[in-house]
Amino acid sequence: MAQANTLCQDGKSKGGVLAHLERLETGVNRSGKQCEELQSAQAVGSALATKIRKLRCLRDKLRAEVKQRQARVKASIANAEPDQTVEISEQEVLERKQKNVKAILQAYRFTGISAKLTSRGVCVCINTAFEGNLLDSYFVDLVIKKPLQIYHHSVPVFIPLEDIAAKYLQTDIQHFLFSLCEYLNAYSGRKYQADQLQSDFAAFLAGPLQRNSLCNLLSFTYKVDPKGQAFPFCARLLYKDLTVTLPTDVTVTYQGTEALSTSWEEQRAAHEILFCTKPLHQVFASFAKKGEMLDMSLFS
Amino acid sequence: MDAQLAEVRALQAEIAALRRVCEEPLAPREETSRVQKSFQEIYQSDSEGWKSSKDLKSQLGHLESELSFLSTLTGINIRKYSMKTEDLTSTEMTEKSIKKVLRRHRLSGNCHMVTFQLEFQILEIQNKERLSSVTTDLNIIMEPTECSELSEFVSRAEERRDLFMFFRSLHFFVEWFEYRKRTFKHFKEKYPDTVHLLEGASSQCMGIRSASRPGFELLIIWKIKIDEEGKVSPKLDLLTKVPRRALELDKNRVIETAPLSFRTLLGVLGIEAALESLIKLFCTEEDS
Repeated sequence: MAQANTLCQDGKSKGGVLAHLERLETGVNRSGKQCEELQSAQAVGSALATKIRKLRCLRDKLRAEVKQRQARVKASIANAEPDQTVEISEQEVLERKQKNVKAILQAYRFTGISAKLTSRGVCVCINTAFEGNLLDSYFVDLVIKKPLQIYHHSVPVFIPLEDIAAKYLQTDIQHFLFSLCEYLNAYSGRKYQADQLQSDFAAFLAGPLQRNSLCNLLSFTYKVDPKGQAFPFCARLLYKDLTVTLPTDVTVTYQGTEALSTSWEEQRAAHEILFCTKPLHQVFASFAKKGEMLDMSLFS
Repeated sequence: MDAQLAEVRALQAEIAALRRVCEEPLAPREETSRVQKSFQEIYQSDSEGWKSSKDLKSQLGHLESELSFLSTLTGINIRKYSMKTEDLTSTEMTEKSIKKVLRRHRLSGNCHMVTFQLEFQILEIQNKERLSSVTTDLNIIMEPTECSELSEFVSRAEERRDLFMFFRSLHFFVEWFEYRKRTFKHFKEKYPDTVHLLEGASSQCMGIRSASRPGFELLIIWKIKIDEEGKVSPKLDLLTKVPRRALELDKNRVIETAPLSFRTLLGVLGIEAALESLIKLFCTEEDS
């Protein structure tokens, strides 16, 4: 605008200015059109570009899918019978299934409860273990009738089978079985501990191990150091709860006339706690280790 | 632009071709038609072969029903099992007729809503007198992890290598878990406005509120504990939320002693009746 004014003042190029403006106008229009054309061309171009992008993406996806299918076919051919034919007879399929089911049936023994169907009903086998050691198994033969009956069993008489059956057998057989498992496993565990004590640590015992058939009442006299001058302690372990493998009541006493020195008294109290918290044979194993360490220190 | 259009056309053509390839039946489908043919061939050529296949089928049926029976009997559903055997017998042992074998077992399945995967090793030593079998390693993976109460128990079972204890406790835990879920659900349905389950269906907590007396709230926390020996037992606690003014008015310290009183109440009435009596406390205003 300023330019136009100065030109006007000149007077000479007035027509020139208008013409200039006209030229500018048409120029703008043209470039506007060009711009529009460019814009629309650009629009179409960018739409195409997006479309191309999308199509490329889809094509890549499909290419990958085809590759996968080819790989699958190759793999299934590779896994075929050694003679390279892809024919699997129905016989083989059935045999494979049968093998599989038989294996799973066998695997049930790892749950602690396995069963076999019998002509009368079912024979349930209960396995017991303690600290990973597989111990005795017991069976209960059930007759499937209303009411459910125990026909036959190998459960020891001092296990309260009738009580457990009275509570759960008719209403909740799973509870019956697992409850029986609890009692049998606990009994097995206690028996194992007592047996281990008698066999592996007999040297520590100053007299016979007194035990009842349930192995829930144990009484014995022992010395912490079998060779040395240790005081003999009397231990009485009571397992009031028949489903546990650690005693509920422990008393360790000293059978003597003299009073115990403080260090021995401390030991006595410590032993009471030990018997409550660790399995019996492990307690004696720790005594043995301490003894070894003591021996070693004497040599060094 | 022409170049672009050309590219678009090329891409479209390629996509169409790829689609046709994808829609072709996979080779295995051709296999099944071959399998059917071979079955017919067996039938036509070897009638004995066909009979044994039928025997196999009925045998398989028997075995599968035995499996489903076992699954119902124990409440434990084993879906996969595999085993690898490694013979560790040395020549010295063979001379003394001792056999030593290490078996690696892999087992997976579920007990109701809990899925487990077990990997364990059992060392079997057979001498003239007896066979000893010891679990030397046990690894347990459990799902769902929302049963956080189980994780501590799982590590204990692994430490002890006690498979049987694992399954026993799992059974009893699931029993209590389902019972807690049913009980909470029952109360939520019976008293929808008063009872609130804080964590949804498998919640450990049940809140009791009254619309007419906001600010008062009872919270029942019901945990399922598994002890050192694998014994499962419920542990219920009561928490109270009460406005300060009410606390000040509580001369008999009822609110302070509420948690202890709750324990006594549980002992007297049992879980369901105790919970219902507490809920009814907050409901009486609405009823009247």
